Amino acid sequence: MTESPGFVLVVDDDAVNRLLLSRALEREGHQVRAVTNGLEAVRALHDDPFDCVLLDVLMPEMDGYQVLEHIRSDPKLRRTPVIMISALDDLESIVRCIELGADDYLPKPFDPVLLRARINAGLARKRLDDLEQEYLEQVGHVVAAAAAVETGTFRTEQLDGAARRDDALGQLARVFQRMATEVRAREQRLKQEVRKLRIEIDEASAARQVAEITETAYFKDLERKVSKIRLDPSS
Amino acid sequence: MSRVIAIHSFRGGTGKSNAAANVATLLAAEGQRIGVVDTDLQSPGIHTLFGLDQEAVRYSLNEYLWGRCHIKQAAHDLTTSLDAGLRGRLYLVPSSIKVNDIARVIRDGYDVGLLNEGLRQLVKQLSLDVLLLDTHPGLNEETLLSIAMSNTVAIVMRPDQQDYEGTRVTLSVARKLKVPDLVLVVNKTPSVFDPEEVRERVAKTYDCEVTAVLPHSDELMTLSSEGVFALHYPDHPVTDLYRQIAARLTA
Repeated sequence: MTESPGFVLVVDDDAVNRLLLSRALEREGHQVRAVTNGLEAVRALHDDPFDCVLLDVLMPEMDGYQVLEHIRSDPKLRRTPVIMISALDDLESIVRCIELGADDYLPKPFDPVLLRARINAGLARKRLDDLEQEYLEQVGHVVAAAAAVETGTFRTEQLDGAARRDDALGQLARVFQRMATEVRAREQRLKQEVRKLRIEIDEASAARQVAEITETAYFKDLERKVSKIRLDPSS
Repeated sequence: MSRVIAIHSFRGGTGKSNAAANVATLLAAEGQRIGVVDTDLQSPGIHTLFGLDQEAVRYSLNEYLWGRCHIKQAAHDLTTSLDAGLRGRLYLVPSSIKVNDIARVIRDGYDVGLLNEGLRQLVKQLSLDVLLLDTHPGLNEETLLSIAMSNTVAIVMRPDQQDYEGTRVTLSVARKLKVPDLVLVVNKTPSVFDPEEVRERVAKTYDCEVTAVLPHSDELMTLSSEGVFALHYPDHPVTDLYRQIAARLTA
């Protein structure tokens, strides 16, 4: 039994091969779905999230090359490891499969030890790839959070996923969350303070200034003449 | 029935000239005969808002004060150049922007009494409904005279610590001169403030009516520099606030 079982799609038009492969894989603890041709394989790939595909090359209707091309051209499927398996052991077929993006090649009749080794290697690649994808996704969340802080639209929960990580990225996300929360709280406190219009006047200073003006001879003269100077609106 | 209205502020940069230009234009649009005098001889500027080319100006307030012309000759009729749709008339007595003239005003001063006489003549000779004085900020002799001869004084202030004390001083001085009608206009109010709250707090602090609370915005600053804002943007909410001020000052 393998320590890290996966979900494997077996695609082969030969019933005996399907049975043998399925049994061998299930003995290792993997979950297996087996289909009989390329069209069924494509449908199955869109139905379930497989960790690895064992793909026969020569099949009626839609052969292994076409299925492989479909997998590599579909953004959702392109990262799934594909191991080509066929009675063909000629170099030309192997080269074509590799060129089309196959991860590995297994000749028929298959050797159980070789099958185990290649399946485990494929699953390991898939797990590593999944981790890398998740890491990049979380980095994307941190970058988006920085942009959101700039535009004032940051929400703390944007980084909840990244903050749960126990690596350096998780630490960065947690520090970022805490700092953004503190800055926002400080801004809001400041806004609250600004909103409260405070009018502070040094009344003693104002009174001194008024006295300086009103005690001048010019002002006193103006005060005396003001009734004559001011226009009478009724005149 | 004529009245003199001074638009004043203790500090510069409050938007006093903009308020004066807009109020004057809106009153002229209603059919009133308006005279605007730029009594800010040390730093004139309202002519720019009215689009008056000083190169073409032969007589300004300076020439009148130095005895070179009659006050009426310094009054420029801007009614047509501003907007053919103005039902009333709008005259502007500009101050000179020539460096030598400004230097002479600062150095030698002028006969303040003559200014009073000239303004009274202007009201009479042009049959003005309203004479609007755009004053020099602060409280110097000509400013005190402008306040003394006004029936209404509108003090423009910003909700800014720099303006609070000066506005208190100006109001106290105006009250000592027994100005019959004193109002405050709060200008350049940051958007974080609630205008109604600002109106209430300012009115309570100074025990004085607040006619309007105008907002501060970069857009407004840019648009205002193009000329008389109310003419370019008659449907703008700020134009409504200027209308509110114009109606109150002539009520």
